[in-house]
Amino acid sequence: MKQLEKNWLEWIVFAISLVLVVSTLGYLVYDGANTGSSPPNFEFQLGQPQPQQNYFVVPVSVTNQGDETAEGVLVEVVLESNGTDQETAEFEIAFLPRQSTREGWVTFRTDPRTVDQMSARVMGFSKP
Amino acid sequence: MNDQSQRTLVRSLQEYLRGIAGGLLFSLPLLYTMEVWWAGFIAHPLRLLIYVLATFSLLLGYNRYGGLRRSASPLEVAIDSVEEMGLGLIIAAIFLWLLGRITADMSPDEIAGQIIVEAMTVAIGVSVGTAQLGGGEGDQQTDSGMKSNSSSADPDPTPFLTENNGDFGGQLTIALCGAVLFAANVAPTEEITQIAVESNSWRLVGFALVSMILGAMILFYSNFTGTQRFSKKRGIVNVIYGTVVTYAIALVASAAILWFFGRFDGMSLITCLAQTVVSGLAATLGASAGRLLLQ
Repeated sequence: MKQLEKNWLEWIVFAISLVLVVSTLGYLVYDGANTGSSPPNFEFQLGQPQPQQNYFVVPVSVTNQGDETAEGVLVEVVLESNGTDQETAEFEIAFLPRQSTREGWVTFRTDPRTVDQMSARVMGFSKP
Repeated sequence: MNDQSQRTLVRSLQEYLRGIAGGLLFSLPLLYTMEVWWAGFIAHPLRLLIYVLATFSLLLGYNRYGGLRRSASPLEVAIDSVEEMGLGLIIAAIFLWLLGRITADMSPDEIAGQIIVEAMTVAIGVSVGTAQLGGGEGDQQTDSGMKSNSSSADPDPTPFLTENNGDFGGQLTIALCGAVLFAANVAPTEEITQIAVESNSWRLVGFALVSMILGAMILFYSNFTGTQRFSKKRGIVNVIYGTVVTYAIALVASAAILWFFGRFDGMSLITCLAQTVVSGLAATLGASAGRLLLQ
């Protein structure tokens, strides 16, 4: 066979490229084999309310535990006292990819620290 | 290391830089397109895998038939293709980071997906750039597959994509590369779907006719650099044959890209066809110019 005309720079570039390409393929095969088709499934984490001038800001982080991306995710956060809704707030996330987290904030006039319960849910989303 | 036959460091560095410039030239529009970023996390990993394998086959084909060293052995072709894909991945990662598309709080899935989707077009660009952007200085002439070489070596050239052409597979590959490179720039965008949905059948027929006329013009009549050697034997049968084959390649390329970007998911057959015809215009330009410009 013909001698390969390669200098050390080309061998280095080739070695790095080979590692990248092989790991890319390996990752995709692994990921493809392990990714199911469960619908988007949301998990919330509500942060500490921060008092502002005349309202309260609550950071919300939403994680999609499903295997599919959700588009236009509408998140609603409710303040509850004595079984009734005191106040609701919402925000929208353009895309929430699988196994990914996005953060947002909701604002309330009521002080969230004075209510019994603060809960979050997803109102709806679409398939991209 | 002192072997005379080896390329100097400067030469190989020049080649890589040329490749990087080419990769960016051809793929920059895609690096700035939202739909392409989204495809990285919307597409299923198996679809991404198919995309990577298809791109790699295209690189192998391009390096075999249209690449810098046409005399290269199969092993060299494979090595070059791996290098081009590696460079594509690195360039895509750097640019996506610069553009703020990759941040530390993203999941690895999302980051990997985005880089992989973008890297494929960059890799084809790197391949084309390495082979095309070079000047013809000195010893480069000996191993380059440049047009100037082949036309002088081939005194009786046959027109593009004609039946009696021995290198038919090579021409198909080059045309396909050009079609993919051009179609990839428009197919992922929302605009293609919008045009397709809003166009009536007559306008779509118009799209198809204009595409074929453009293809025929570029291939046979436009007097582009390099067309002279295709135009010598421009019998009407050859023109029709070449045009139809080129348009078919363009349609296949644009359908494949549209499918990858999820444009066919849940669409009616007629909408899929309309989208293919709409982005087929760009693909035809790429496929017909491919032979003339990419080689």
